[in-house]
Amino acid sequence: MSEFGALDQDLQQMFGDVFGDWREARGPAALEIELDRALWATLVDLGISRLTAVDGSGATWIEAAGLLRAAARTAAAVPVAENDVLSGWLREQAAIADDDLIHSACILDPSGSARAVPWASQVDNLTVLWPVGDGWKLADVPVSQFHVTPGRDLAGQPRDAVSIDLATLDGADVPSDVVREYRLRGALARSVQMAGALERIVELSVEHATSRVQFGRPIGKFQAVQNLIADAAGELVIANASTDAAVLALAAGEVGLDGLELRVAIARSVTGHAAAVIVRNVHQVHGAIGTTFEHQLHEFTKPVLAWRSEFGSLREWDTRLTELMVASELDLWAFGVPTDGR
Amino acid sequence: MEIHLAPPIVQEGQQLTELRQKVREFIRAGIADATLVPTINSWLGGWNEEFSRSLAAEGWLGMTIPVEFGGRGSTFLQRFVVTQELLAAGAPVSAHWVADRQIGPSLLKFGTDYQKQKLLPGIANGDIFFGIGMSEPDAGSDLASVRTKGVQVEGGWKISGSKVWTSGAHASNYFFALARTAPVDTDHRHAGLSQFIIDLHSPGVDVRPIVSLNGHHHFNEVFLDDVFVPDDMVLGTIGEGWNQVTSELAYERSGPERFLSTLPMLNELLLATRRGDLAPDPELGRYFARIMGLHQVSVSIADSLSRGEEVGTSASIVKVLGTTTEGDIAEFATTVPGAAEGDASLDTLRALGDEALLERAGFTLRGGTNEVLRGVIARGLGLR
Repeated sequence: MSEFGALDQDLQQMFGDVFGDWREARGPAALEIELDRALWATLVDLGISRLTAVDGSGATWIEAAGLLRAAARTAAAVPVAENDVLSGWLREQAAIADDDLIHSACILDPSGSARAVPWASQVDNLTVLWPVGDGWKLADVPVSQFHVTPGRDLAGQPRDAVSIDLATLDGADVPSDVVREYRLRGALARSVQMAGALERIVELSVEHATSRVQFGRPIGKFQAVQNLIADAAGELVIANASTDAAVLALAAGEVGLDGLELRVAIARSVTGHAAAVIVRNVHQVHGAIGTTFEHQLHEFTKPVLAWRSEFGSLREWDTRLTELMVASELDLWAFGVPTDGR
Repeated sequence: MEIHLAPPIVQEGQQLTELRQKVREFIRAGIADATLVPTINSWLGGWNEEFSRSLAAEGWLGMTIPVEFGGRGSTFLQRFVVTQELLAAGAPVSAHWVADRQIGPSLLKFGTDYQKQKLLPGIANGDIFFGIGMSEPDAGSDLASVRTKGVQVEGGWKISGSKVWTSGAHASNYFFALARTAPVDTDHRHAGLSQFIIDLHSPGVDVRPIVSLNGHHHFNEVFLDDVFVPDDMVLGTIGEGWNQVTSELAYERSGPERFLSTLPMLNELLLATRRGDLAPDPELGRYFARIMGLHQVSVSIADSLSRGEEVGTSASIVKVLGTTTEGDIAEFATTVPGAAEGDASLDTLRALGDEALLERAGFTLRGGTNEVLRGVIARGLGLR
């Protein structure tokens, strides 16, 4: 067998250092998160703001996932997923040249509107998809051309409503598979980000349980507390494994969109349900201090809970996976563990 | 701090996938001619010596045993793939299960040449079946407190005591018994234990059934009354029993039997949904996804084990999550609309579900209770 995620050790180290240094130097946490353009400039300087560009470093989703994880582990306020694996990839599909602007992306409805668009109010451009008849159009448009109504998700991340007169847009035709893959990429990016933040959350619970003393001993010495953390750690392990399996499927590029959808659905289901257990248990371990704004725990738990509902909610993914299973003609095991390279 | 709980996931190579396909064809043929009737919990409840021998004929018993000892010299991962496929299909594998999973590897690791020559060929061709003699009435989770005693006599040892929860002892040829061969040293409780290979037909061995709450008989209590074990049937080193036993446990805890015991029932839920006998329920996707996540972790652990790496924490995680999920699937299957009163189209699901619901209490106990395993995980995280 070959090991997954031969993510280069030096690269991983670099990702960790960049965001770790940023976190050490940054000011206090904010209730409303603002895009950190200084951090973004650092990412541009290092050449990792557009990691998977086809004419770039040759990075795949394996490296992109490493970057997303590292950012999520520090609650870094930058749209790394939106700019690279979503907008960047979309622009490649329409042969739009790369630039140094910050991009996000969304799908517009036939009236030219979209809700809860990640980072829309704070980036430079939006890469948009919209339906025209039976087909789809794609364009990369300055945010200034949109009417933007700022909004926030439960984590305080910018999630803004946008609208534009589609008649003013001149787009490239793209096949509907592009739209399908865009949605799957978004869903997988959120799974990777959740896995990264969940890992940090479990680490925080171990740190707290070994340092917080009650009844004359660290609370981690109590079996009741150990059990909470052990169960959280278990959920983390399967969330990581199912997310990594989907990343590998996308990086290998051999499974086709149906195969990719299956892996992404599995990842989103497992990671979403894992998030429920981990967030609940880890808050319980932290006690009252974990419920405050002062403590950093919420900087990781809130995005997880927000990401869990993006590019399809948990129930939607469970339902979609069920549909895929029922539509197949294979036994359950053969469907999940194919021997034909799907 | 950063935590590393499980090995990285791995991709299956072409050879293993081909083997997987071959086993699937064998299973399909078996189901077609009714020599294989899928059941839940088939690795504990499905005793079928004929089926075991049909696997031996395919080269799928004692796979990791070297050719010189009658085995196939296959890799650990090849065996892993075969057992996964058999368990997923609910094939009756319990007759050879213990011998194939842990006795063979233990004999290879600790056994003498004489023991290997005597036992391994029979394990590989499905003629010799084994039980496990670890637990006792007063030594369950706390295994180090075993009271079965081994006293040295001329030419061997005399063993006395009783062992419980020995699955299949009534139909097996041998078991490995863990016994105390030196007085308890309270500072070193794990010292002074030894393993013996006991012929279950020896004088002084009395096997009595322990009937499960559903009326099935696979458990036994095995009474040992001055049973003579010759020196050449001592396993490994006298006094090293604890280390020998714990080396078996990683194999026992991370295997596919820890999350696939009720898979045939989940498949039946899918089939009933496809037929329109049940409405599509997102719980079906949820449990399937969980099984797939466990599968990924289990494969990566198997890969790690095959390279001789330490996997204690992640093996425990698979067992805690996997056995809980097996039971949750039983709850799901037996709470669907029409679970008890629906029409005959749900009969297969009903039979599997009822069986699973009555067996589930054991899922999270056997092979180390989940409470003990959470302690192992906590230790791995540095909490104790």
